[in-house]
Amino acid sequence: MKNNSLDQIIEQSFGTEPDFQLPDNFAQRITSELERRSQWKIDLTEYLHLTAFAFLIFAVVMGTLYFVNKETLTHFFTFISVNWFPVVLVTLLLNFILFADRVLLPLLFTKLLKHN
Amino acid sequence: MEDRELISQILNRNMNAFTFLVNRYRKLVVHIIGRLIQRNEEIEDVSQEVFIKVYQNLEKYRNECKLSTWIATIAYNTGINHLSKFKKVDGAINYDDPSIFRSLIDFRTDNYEQIDLHRYIRDQIELLPVNFRTVITLFHLEEFSYQEIGQITGMPEGTVKSYLFRAKAILKEKLKFVIDENSLKIVKEISNEK
Repeated sequence: MKNNSLDQIIEQSFGTEPDFQLPDNFAQRITSELERRSQWKIDLTEYLHLTAFAFLIFAVVMGTLYFVNKETLTHFFTFISVNWFPVVLVTLLLNFILFADRVLLPLLFTKLLKHN
Repeated sequence: MEDRELISQILNRNMNAFTFLVNRYRKLVVHIIGRLIQRNEEIEDVSQEVFIKVYQNLEKYRNECKLSTWIATIAYNTGINHLSKFKKVDGAINYDDPSIFRSLIDFRTDNYEQIDLHRYIRDQIELLPVNFRTVITLFHLEEFSYQEIGQITGMPEGTVKSYLFRAKAILKEKLKFVIDENSLKIVKEISNEK
C-alpha cells in the first residue's frame, strides 16, 4: 500500500512544474537582441560599402587624371611618395573615424543600453 | 497556428511569428535549462541563447522530427555546453556503482510534514544528478517518448529507462524514511482534492 502510494505521489510530483520563471517580456527581449545582432552586421556592411565607394571614387579620379592631365598625376604621386607617412596616417585616421561612427559607437551604445 | 506555417512565416522574417514561437516553447526551454543549470540568474540568458540559435538555424530544420524535439535538442546541448564551461558535468559518474546509489539516498529529515510534499519531492529532484533530472523533465513534464528523449540527449533508450527507474527508486527510498503511512494517506487525499 505504502509502496503504491509513494509511486503515485512521486509520479505526480514529476509532472508538476518547477519554479523556474522567465520574465513576461522575454519574447520581446529576444527579438530586440536579434535586431541588435543583425543591426551590427548591417552597420558593418554599410561601413565596408562606404570604404569601397571612397576607394572607387579615388580610383576614378586617378584614372581620369591619367588620361586628362598626366603631369598633375605625377605631381600627386611625387607628393605622396615624399610625404607617405602623414598621408597614410590621415587616411587611416579618417577610415577609423568612419568605422567608429558607423559601427563602433552604435554597437557600444546598444550594449550600454542593454546593460542599463 | 501550426508549426509548419509558423516556420515559413519566421523564415520570411516575420518577427511576430517568432514571438509566437517563443511564447509557445518558452516553458519547454526553461524547464530543460532550469533543470540542467539550476542557477536562476543564468536561466534567462541561456534560454535567450537557445531561442537565438533556433532563429538562426531554423532554415536547417528538416521536419525529420517534431519542432518541439528539435528545440529541446538545442536547449539540451546549449545547457550542457554552458554547464561544462562553468563546472564539471557529472557524466563521468558510474551510476551502476552501489556506493554512489547509497550516497544519493542520503536523506534529510527536516520538517517535511509542514511543507508541501510535492515541493519536497521537487527539491529532492534538484539534488539528483543532471542526467536523472533531465530524463525526468523530458519524460514526465514534457511528455516526450523514450525514442524522442534518445534523440534529444543522445542516450540509448535503455539508458533513459534505467535513469527514470533509478531516479524513482532513489526518491522512493528517501521518502520511505521520512514519511509514515498516516501522513501518506493525508498527502494522497490532499493531492486528489487538488
